Amino acid sequence: MLEIVGLHSRYGLAHILHGVSFAAAAGEVLVLLGRNGAGKSTTLKSIIGLVRPAAGRVRFDGVDVAGWEPHRIARAGLGYVPEDRRIFADLTVAENLLVGRQPARPGLAPWTEARLFALFPNLATLRDRPAGRMSGGEQQMLTIARTLMGNPRCILLDEPAEGLAPVIVAQMAQAILALKAEGVTVVLAEQNLHFAASVGDRAAVIETGRVIWSGPMAALQGDAALRAAHLHL
Amino acid sequence: MDAILIQLLTGLAGASSLFLVAAGLTVIFGVTRVVNFAHGSLFMLGAYIAWSILVHLPRAPGWHAAGVLLAALATAGIGALLEIGLLRRLYRAPELLQLLATFGVLLVVQDLTLLLWGPNDLALPRPSWLRGSVAIAGARFPAYDLLLIGIGPLVLAALWLLFSRTRWGTLVRAATQDREMVAALGVDQSVLFTTVFALGAGLAGLGGALALPDGSANLQMDLTVITDAFVVVVVGGMGSLPGAYLAALLIALLQAFGVMLLPNATLVLMFVVMAAVLAVRPHGLLGRALAPARGEAQATALIRPASPALRGLGLAVLALAMAAPFLAGPFVLSVLTEALVAMLFAASLHAMMGPGGMASFGHAAWFGIGAYAAALAAKGLLMPMPVGLLLGPLLAGAAALAFGWFVVRLSGVYLAMLTLAFAQIVWAVAFQSDLTGGDNGVLGIWPDAWAQDPRVFYALALVLCAGGTLGLRRVLFSPFGYALRAARDAPARAEAIGLWPARLRLAAFALAGAAAGLAGAVGTYSKGSVFPTTISISRSVDALLMVLLGGVQTMSGPIVGALAYTGLYDVLIRATDLWRLCLGLIIIALVLAFPQGIAGAAARDRTA
Repeated sequence: MLEIVGLHSRYGLAHILHGVSFAAAAGEVLVLLGRNGAGKSTTLKSIIGLVRPAAGRVRFDGVDVAGWEPHRIARAGLGYVPEDRRIFADLTVAENLLVGRQPARPGLAPWTEARLFALFPNLATLRDRPAGRMSGGEQQMLTIARTLMGNPRCILLDEPAEGLAPVIVAQMAQAILALKAEGVTVVLAEQNLHFAASVGDRAAVIETGRVIWSGPMAALQGDAALRAAHLHL
Repeated sequence: MDAILIQLLTGLAGASSLFLVAAGLTVIFGVTRVVNFAHGSLFMLGAYIAWSILVHLPRAPGWHAAGVLLAALATAGIGALLEIGLLRRLYRAPELLQLLATFGVLLVVQDLTLLLWGPNDLALPRPSWLRGSVAIAGARFPAYDLLLIGIGPLVLAALWLLFSRTRWGTLVRAATQDREMVAALGVDQSVLFTTVFALGAGLAGLGGALALPDGSANLQMDLTVITDAFVVVVVGGMGSLPGAYLAALLIALLQAFGVMLLPNATLVLMFVVMAAVLAVRPHGLLGRALAPARGEAQATALIRPASPALRGLGLAVLALAMAAPFLAGPFVLSVLTEALVAMLFAASLHAMMGPGGMASFGHAAWFGIGAYAAALAAKGLLMPMPVGLLLGPLLAGAAALAFGWFVVRLSGVYLAMLTLAFAQIVWAVAFQSDLTGGDNGVLGIWPDAWAQDPRVFYALALVLCAGGTLGLRRVLFSPFGYALRAARDAPARAEAIGLWPARLRLAAFALAGAAAGLAGAVGTYSKGSVFPTTISISRSVDALLMVLLGGVQTMSGPIVGALAYTGLYDVLIRATDLWRLCLGLIIIALVLAFPQGIAGAAARDRTA
């Protein structure tokens, strides 16, 4: 579904990604695990095209989309949910969803406002509220719902549980599993191993801009030495 | 009472025209963050195109309306072409370079309009239904103005529906907040930007076409309208449509009643109101603090001391400049003196713009105050030249200090607009006051006997201007200069380490004003006269052009820019009647080729 090969990215003179490689199979939840500053966010931004990769391939459904404009990549079926949410604060919930709307894709039931409100019940009552006047958890749900309006076949989530209350985190995990059940491929950037383990099928551990380990989630959980070396603070 | 009602209606009609132009400007700014100097040109084109269409159509109201809409559509098409051909390539450039490019467009359009439609004002032969009037409170009020009064709110309502009820409008509002995120959601920004630009241009064209029956299509309307539109947009709050309407109302009523009460001060009045509004509400009536449009590169290059090679080059040029009196004749020396004045003028703007981070649209104010101070010292007080040369920078610096108190709290476009307002006030005073000789200026100011020899005066100008420029450079590499740049790049952190950003900026502002005043004083003795045009917008733009051509983030930039610009200008004016066209095209080409300025590009090539 999504195959990243030797991705390099820079911000000006700072070389952030040094050849990131991993792959996510159709319908699975792949967790990109790493500490702060490891390169998780830059990897996701490089995939969606907000950061133009200096080298490497981003193969989506067999097509190399590296270097495309972000809107073309999004239209190809890749959805992106940024870490800092970036909701349109002056627009209502319904208008935020409208901005994300894209044509339906063959083989996937198209997302509608009603289906998204079923997935995130909190949003239903806030339909006409300006997004800037919602809680952090509600904004996080909105930003995922907004991206789903584009009917992506693969969605990139950047630390969706960060800074949220435990009850909301649990809802978020539910939502991710619901997406998986819909057949959406999920790439989740995360530093919280506990949350990652609750939703992930496989993991890729990233450190200083390189993937240093990848394999089944269960294998990572069984390898205390690996976790201690690369994930614990 | 009746007179008041009539003035009220006149004001309302004026508000509609102003709003149409300002609405286009504010919509374009909201999404693209481009301050479009060429917006007045689109208004002008709307009027000319409408004239060309309407003189060929039957005179009935229906045909007239169709012709006006057609002209608006044509202007929208021109706007779309402008966006696709030029602005699209500049969205990642610093905003002042975008401004510079649109100023280039303004110059090009001026000459193209002259070529296509000729120099004469084109008035529309008015059919009877356009000449009709309505009896209101015992007076005759033009029916067409009543129509205009209705059109403004109508357009506001239509735009409101467009932006709140359509997906396109929702996308535009979303892009105003975060255009990068909109792209990541699969929206093609370039289509969005082109259509927004076309809409804004169409509104300007509509405004021009609607203004035609009350006046004429003429070559001055672009600059007149853009100044008014800038004021309206800034007073209303950049990006806010209701704000634009409110401000248009305020300004137009002010003009209507100002004519009654203070006929000599209408020019000043508009800018005084703008300065007052910005002093109380720094982001305009309904505006909000602008988050930087996300998705643009805003990295500022570091300013480094000149490399040894550049220093060597500078010394060589300086040596050549010192040798000039022995090599060149009086004419060349006078040209060189002008270049020296331009250099100090540009360097003074650069000091506040680059390291100070305060881009001014009205830098000519300080130059003009210095020039008039020297002129009045010589002609009014019969003082010797050194007194004039001292008074120039002193008065300009003092004025900058006083005015800077308002300015340094603002930033970006608002700061630029407030400086423009102040320059316009100074200009209006010079233009309307008896003391300054009004439009006739002050004539016959010559250097003292000991400096009459062009070689001596040139040497004096070299000492003052090159000395002033080097002095500014010295200051900017002093601890004060570093503190200033710290305050520019990270005001909160600068404050946390004990700096006082507002005071640093004020000091830089006053220093720049004094240096510009010195340039103005030297320029006055060199030319022998001073006119209000010294303070005009185009003079302020000259300074901006020099700095931006040279590159803001280099110390040598303003020097290179001033010399390149004055040289270019002289050559073009001598060589061709179409100098605006040539200058405009050269500016556009330079901005496209060197988005960091000439000296900036040279610096980049060295590091690359």
